[in-house]
Amino acid sequence: MERNRELGFRMAKKSHSSTHSRSHQTIVPSRSNTSAEFSIKEQRTEDWEGDSPNFPSVIGTCPDMCPAKERAQRERLGDLSVFERLNGNPRRTSPSLAVRKFCRTISAMHMQASDIRPLEVLQDTLTYLFNLLDSSKYPFEVVHDFVFDRTRAIRQDLSMQNIINDQAIHMYEEMVKFHIISLHKLPRFSSNPSISSLHFLNMEQLMKSLVSLYNLYDINRMSNSINKNEAEFYSFYVLLHLGSNSQSMGESLSLWFRRLASTIVKSKEMCFARAVLRFFRMGNYKSFFSTVAAEASNLQFFLIEPFINEWLQASTIPISAPL
Amino acid sequence: MAYMSMGEAHRRITEFLNRFSEAVFSQDGPSLKPLLAVSSNSANLLSLADALRVFQDASRLIKQSDKYSQLGEIIVPLLRSFQSSRIGHVVDAYNAFEKSANAFLQEFRNWESAWAMEPVYTIAYEIRVLAERADRELASMGKNPEKLKGAGSFLMKVFGALAGKGPKRVGALYVTCQLFKVYFKLGTVHLCRSVIRSIETAKIFDFEEFPMRDKVTYMYYTGRLEVFNENFLAADQKLTYALMHCNPRSEGNIRMILKYLIPVKLSIGILPKMWLLEKYNLVEYSDVVKALKRGDLRLLRHALQEHEDQFLRSGVYLVLEKLELQVYQRLVKKIYIIQKQRDPSKAHQVKLEVIVKALKWLEMDKDVDEVECIMAILIYKNLMKGYFAHKSKVVVLSKQDPFPKLNGNPVNS
Repeated sequence: MERNRELGFRMAKKSHSSTHSRSHQTIVPSRSNTSAEFSIKEQRTEDWEGDSPNFPSVIGTCPDMCPAKERAQRERLGDLSVFERLNGNPRRTSPSLAVRKFCRTISAMHMQASDIRPLEVLQDTLTYLFNLLDSSKYPFEVVHDFVFDRTRAIRQDLSMQNIINDQAIHMYEEMVKFHIISLHKLPRFSSNPSISSLHFLNMEQLMKSLVSLYNLYDINRMSNSINKNEAEFYSFYVLLHLGSNSQSMGESLSLWFRRLASTIVKSKEMCFARAVLRFFRMGNYKSFFSTVAAEASNLQFFLIEPFINEWLQASTIPISAPL
Repeated sequence: MAYMSMGEAHRRITEFLNRFSEAVFSQDGPSLKPLLAVSSNSANLLSLADALRVFQDASRLIKQSDKYSQLGEIIVPLLRSFQSSRIGHVVDAYNAFEKSANAFLQEFRNWESAWAMEPVYTIAYEIRVLAERADRELASMGKNPEKLKGAGSFLMKVFGALAGKGPKRVGALYVTCQLFKVYFKLGTVHLCRSVIRSIETAKIFDFEEFPMRDKVTYMYYTGRLEVFNENFLAADQKLTYALMHCNPRSEGNIRMILKYLIPVKLSIGILPKMWLLEKYNLVEYSDVVKALKRGDLRLLRHALQEHEDQFLRSGVYLVLEKLELQVYQRLVKKIYIIQKQRDPSKAHQVKLEVIVKALKWLEMDKDVDEVECIMAILIYKNLMKGYFAHKSKVVVLSKQDPFPKLNGNPVNS
C-alpha cells in the first residue's frame, strides 16, 4: 500500500557532535526503490539504546518474542523474570513466555537477522506485554518494570530495522501511553527507594519515546499523511513542561514552538495545553482547575496530576484565595 | 554571453592564478579575500568562470607550473566551485568549496602570523552561505539537506585552529557568530552552548579584544538565547549592549535587536514609545504596548492572536503572554484612580464586583472566584500591595504605593 513505508537498506550514522539527549532523524531517499519511499538516516547521541555505527539496517527474521540463543543463555544463567518462568521454574522458559531483554551494549555488527524480530512479531510481542498489565497477580511496580524493559527492547528492534511506517507510529503511541499510565499508577509515596528511581526512569523513557514519535510524525508528514492522534501527543510535551524545573527536560518551550507545524499549534488539544500552561505559569489555579476538569483527556490529566500534587504540597497558593 | 577566444580564456585564468599566488606569497590578506568569495558573483569571478568553461584544462596548467602547484589543492577545487556556481549547480559548488576550504585551513595552520585572517572570515562566511543554498536545492529535490550541518563541522575546525594563544585568536568570535547562524538555522540551538562556554571561560580569550562588530553579533545571539530561556535580566543586558554598540546606520540590524529587546523591556516594565515601533517597523508590538498602557486585557489577547504565527516563530510568544499580569495590574490601578477622583477616602477599597464589571465591559467573562484568584496573585507577586477581605469580597489597598512599579525587575516568580 502507498502508506506502507518500509525501507530499503541505508547506512545509519552516529552523530558525535551533539552531547544533548536527543535524537535527530533526517530523511534520505532509498537508493533501492523508485516510488516515494524514504528511509531514515538516524543520527543519535551517545545515550541511544544500543550503538549505531555505520551499518546497513537489516530486516529481522526471529519468529519468537525472544531469540532462541538468548532464551538458552538466560535459562543457563537463571536470568528469567517471574513472567517468563515455565511453571515457576527460574531456569526454564518457553517461546510463548520469554521476551527479549533490553541490552544497552548491543553492537549491531554482531547482531544477526535471526536475533532481530520483524515488525509482525514485534506487534504481537507488544500486544502480549500490554495484556500483562491487566493481570493483578503481581503489584503494579513489578509488572511495570518488566513491561518497561521489554518495550525498550522492542523500540531497539524497530530502530535497528529503521521501521517508520504507520504501524510503528501506532506502536510508539501505545508505548507512550503505557509510560503515562504508569506515571499515574506507580505508587507516589513509598518507603521503598527503588520506587522513586522507577518514576525517574519512567519519565526518561517517556520523553525518549515521545521525541522518537515526533520524528516519525515529521517523516510521515512529508508524504502528506497527518496522523489523527498527533495533536494530542504533541500536547503532552507542553504538559510535561509545566513545572519550574522543566529546563532540565530539554530545550525551552519557546524554541520548541518555533518549529511546530501551524496545524498542530492551532489544534484543540494544543490550545488546551497552551491554556493550561498559561494558567499554571500565572498561578491562576481557578481557571487552571476548571479548564482541566472540563477539557482534559485521561492521558492529559495523568500528566498534569503530579503538578497539582506539587502545588498542593508546596502551598504556594496565595492564602486568601478559595479553592 | 559574448564569445571568448581560447587565448583570452587562458589569459584570464593565468591572471587569476597569478593574483592568487602573489597574494599568498606576499601574505597580502586583503588582496586574497575577494578571490575566495564565490557567492559574491563579482564581475571578475563571473568572467573567470566563463573562461574556465572555454579553457577546460586549468588543472593541468596549475600542476605544470611550480608557482601554482603548491597551492593546487586549494585552487583546483576553488575553480571548480566558481564554475559550478556560475551554471547554478549549487550543490557541486558547495562540495568543491568545502574541499578547497579544508585545504586552505591546512595551510593556514602552518602560517604563524594572522595575515590570512580576512580570507578566513571570507571562507567562513562563504561556506555557510553556499551550504544554505545547497540545502535549499537538496530539499526541493526531496533529498536530505545535510550540507549546512557539514559547514557547521568545518566551522568548528576553523574555531579550533583559532583557539590558541597567538594573534589568530582574535578571529574566534567571528567564527563563533557564523556557528550561531548555522545552529539557529538548523534548529540545533543547544549546540551553541559549547562554543559559548569556550569563548566565555577560556583564559586565552579576552572579550574586549575582539572587534566590535563581532561583539555586537555575539551579544545579539546570546541575548536571544536568554530570551528563549526567559532570563530577562541577562537578556536585557546583552541585547542592550548590542543595541548600544550597533552601527546607528544599520537600521536592519537595529530592528533585529529591537525585535527581541522590546518583549524583554516590556517584561521588566519599560514601554517603548510608539515612534520607535513605527520607525523600525515593529508595529506588531503596538497593540501589546497599548494594552499595557490601558490595562486592556482584551486588546492583549487580540494582539497575541493576530500575530500568533509571527510571535511563535520568533520565540517571544510565551514572553508576551506573561504580560497579562501587568495588564491586570494596570486595570485595577485605573479603577483605583477613578475611585480616588470620586471619593478619595474610600478609593483604596476596590470591590471585586467592580473589577468583574470592568472585565465584562472588555468582553472578558470572568466570575468572582477567578477575579479573586487573580487579585491574590497580584498581591503575591508584589504587583499590588494590600490584602484581601474574602467575606466582603473587597481588595483593601495599601495607602502607600499600592501599585509598585517593576523598576527594571521582572515580575517575581
